[in-house]
Amino acid sequence: MLEHAMVVLQPYSLLTILIGTIAGVAIGGMPGLTATMAVGLLVPFTYTMDPALGLMLLGGIYCGAMYGGSIPAILLNTPGTPAAVATAIEGFPMSQKGKAGLALKVSVVASFVGGFFSVIILLLFAPLLARQALNFGPPETFLLALMGLAGIISIADENSSLIKALIAGLLGMVIAIVGTDDMSGSLRYTMGYIELIDGIDFMPALIGLFSMIQMLELAGMRKKHEIDVSALHKKQRNDPLPKGIFKYIAVGAGTGTVIGVLPGEGATIAAFISYNVSKRISKVKELFGKGNPEGIAAAEAGNNGCVGGSLVPTLTLGIPGNSVAAALMGAFIIHGMIPGPDLFNEYADRTYPFIMSMFIANGVFLIVGLTIAPYLARIALIPPAILVPVVSAFAVLGSYALNNAVFDVFLMIAFAGFGLILKKLGFSLEALILGLILGPIAEGGFSQGMIIGKGSPWIFFESNIAKIMWVLIILLLVPPLYSYWKNTAMVKAPSLDDQD
Amino acid sequence: MLKKSIIAGLVLSVAMAAPAMAGSYPSKAITVIVPSKAGGSTDRTARMITETMKTQNKGFEFVIKDIPGSGGQKGFEAINRARPDGYTIGLVFTPQLVAHIVSKRARYTLDSFRILGNVAQDPGIVAVPKDSKIMNLADLAKMAKAKPLTVAVNGIGSDDFLAAKSFEAKAGVTFNLLPTKGSTEQKAGILGGHFDAAFMNLSQMIAQHKAGDARIIAILAADRDENMSEMPTSKEQGYEVYMTATRGMVAPAKIDKAILDQLEAMVVKAVNDPDFKAKAKKGNIYLAPMNGADYLSYLKGLQADTQAVYDKAPW
Repeated sequence: MLEHAMVVLQPYSLLTILIGTIAGVAIGGMPGLTATMAVGLLVPFTYTMDPALGLMLLGGIYCGAMYGGSIPAILLNTPGTPAAVATAIEGFPMSQKGKAGLALKVSVVASFVGGFFSVIILLLFAPLLARQALNFGPPETFLLALMGLAGIISIADENSSLIKALIAGLLGMVIAIVGTDDMSGSLRYTMGYIELIDGIDFMPALIGLFSMIQMLELAGMRKKHEIDVSALHKKQRNDPLPKGIFKYIAVGAGTGTVIGVLPGEGATIAAFISYNVSKRISKVKELFGKGNPEGIAAAEAGNNGCVGGSLVPTLTLGIPGNSVAAALMGAFIIHGMIPGPDLFNEYADRTYPFIMSMFIANGVFLIVGLTIAPYLARIALIPPAILVPVVSAFAVLGSYALNNAVFDVFLMIAFAGFGLILKKLGFSLEALILGLILGPIAEGGFSQGMIIGKGSPWIFFESNIAKIMWVLIILLLVPPLYSYWKNTAMVKAPSLDDQD
Repeated sequence: MLKKSIIAGLVLSVAMAAPAMAGSYPSKAITVIVPSKAGGSTDRTARMITETMKTQNKGFEFVIKDIPGSGGQKGFEAINRARPDGYTIGLVFTPQLVAHIVSKRARYTLDSFRILGNVAQDPGIVAVPKDSKIMNLADLAKMAKAKPLTVAVNGIGSDDFLAAKSFEAKAGVTFNLLPTKGSTEQKAGILGGHFDAAFMNLSQMIAQHKAGDARIIAILAADRDENMSEMPTSKEQGYEVYMTATRGMVAPAKIDKAILDQLEAMVVKAVNDPDFKAKAKKGNIYLAPMNGADYLSYLKGLQADTQAVYDKAPW
């Protein structure tokens, strides 16, 4: 172990990790640039590099990008990755109150703890955990997506209109119907457009619904939104982390790591479930949606927890935990390191340094994040006349860069226009994007489960994991629904009295 | 003086004549359209072969353009639409290339391309969970007759799907077919014992087979594969079910004949380069060199076979 640690502490290695991580933070922060894309594009270039160094570079990008997504989410309400949408729900209201510095601090600390914890788990328990993850089949995937979708209730009950949030979530799922039906291979509502065969990519939707709409709203404002600037200058830098925040970070780190280990689109689900759970256990539920650092802590620890978690099945079994891990797997294979037991025996001198390098990567973004947070917080002060064109340009470029497709740019603009109307009518765009991302995962799990069960829905209640998940889903759904029902009942009761 | 001016004249005339000759190609980098995502094995194949072509041929530069999605169709269409000036070529893969034609979704046909040659292949396999009672294809057929087996394939119309359909026809069985979104889901389902069997490709499961996490019971080929010579083929086991996923290079149809010939020669030369072979072996890419004519006849045969499956059960 010690000699592997020495490899990581070489100056070249440290420099590589530093470059990778900082590049990752920047990539995660830009709308449209994703860790998947960055890792995918760099894989061929690591071919000529020393294998260990190449992997460290990519690992740094992965860790950095997962954190980087939270920065624009907090400052501008423009999440750079879907996993940062939950962060934006709490982070942006904090920015508007002039507490951007604190929000960024909470986010970077939570990201660090989540990321660091998941790498410890990866280092110590990878083979054991991977075996457990295999018990997770299509029926359980369906239930996990349901757990994520339960987050819609959580988004709703503070913004009051539950019905509108549910409609928005449903709308997201309806939009997700477009594309190929995986079960029959037939095309659904693609209207002859080859671009729609794969369905509607959630990245242009994310950019349109958040980055672009935010810019449209900024541009349309008569008066500049007043931000409490005074707090930004002095005491912000030394603002201590809120008391008891580590409870929520721990919830996120645990949830994120566990969900990361399971194959599938982990980080978004992990962030939303962590956010949802933290809201359920919080003593100040009513502050959620209005800028509660607890929500940021849970969501950010959750999505960074996925980093180490997703590499567990990737390295031990060759089953990538998500799309970034899949791209990373390509980097292993290109150097002849086929994932499996070989990685931990024959190639231990590369695999262990790679895993350990991610400790450093997490440390790098912690230091960078803490140092630049006070300066980053000033981004919120940039006048709209400069901010709006710059971010809009990035939104267009980013949408195009995803698939080298102009179609995605139009899709992004369409989502911006359509989303703006929905937002003005009080529908939750967070619920819509959640439906759009999780709808296909739920559909895939459901239809595969039905095929495995040969048409019987009992498959969804059979395994012990499934039973536990049903309990969790009920725990996440019933209390908020009950309190919602109680509130509406109380509102109605006096009006009945009036009639008497 | 006279001598000097003659030499100068000669130099000048040579210099002026040069652009008119074949030597003027290429004057800029050649774009290679790869209908797959960056970092995947298709993308890696393209990057390796073009790198070899670049080192072997002075003056040639290649730029990879990944166009992922829709089972390669977006990328295939882009190659078809490209200007046939020799500055855009592409990588194609089967059976998706012909499957899109057969299912009437493609705007291209095989005639839309000039075939440069095949580079790599990934033979079809049948994999089962490690503790499965199914040891060979005969067991698979026998068990499938007793009760419907859940068999995972990578999407409708994919190579796995076509192979499974072909096996169903040859063995007279019907599977409980389960389409997945990719080999990741297939691997997870087989390793976790959620599926009874899966039709996949060799490179996707060879490591898991060697590690004892899953079991490959047959390679769907007539001849044994050099990467796994101990594994009996489907032919040896009495089922003539063959499937392989090939990856070859093509150019738009109207490309200049001279440029076409030059490119074809370059592809064939690169595929047989020892250095390239070593790299491919290390990167888990199985080479299957074919020249343009051979690959074209392979593609035509494959299209006919796929058409037969489609006519019976369209998707």
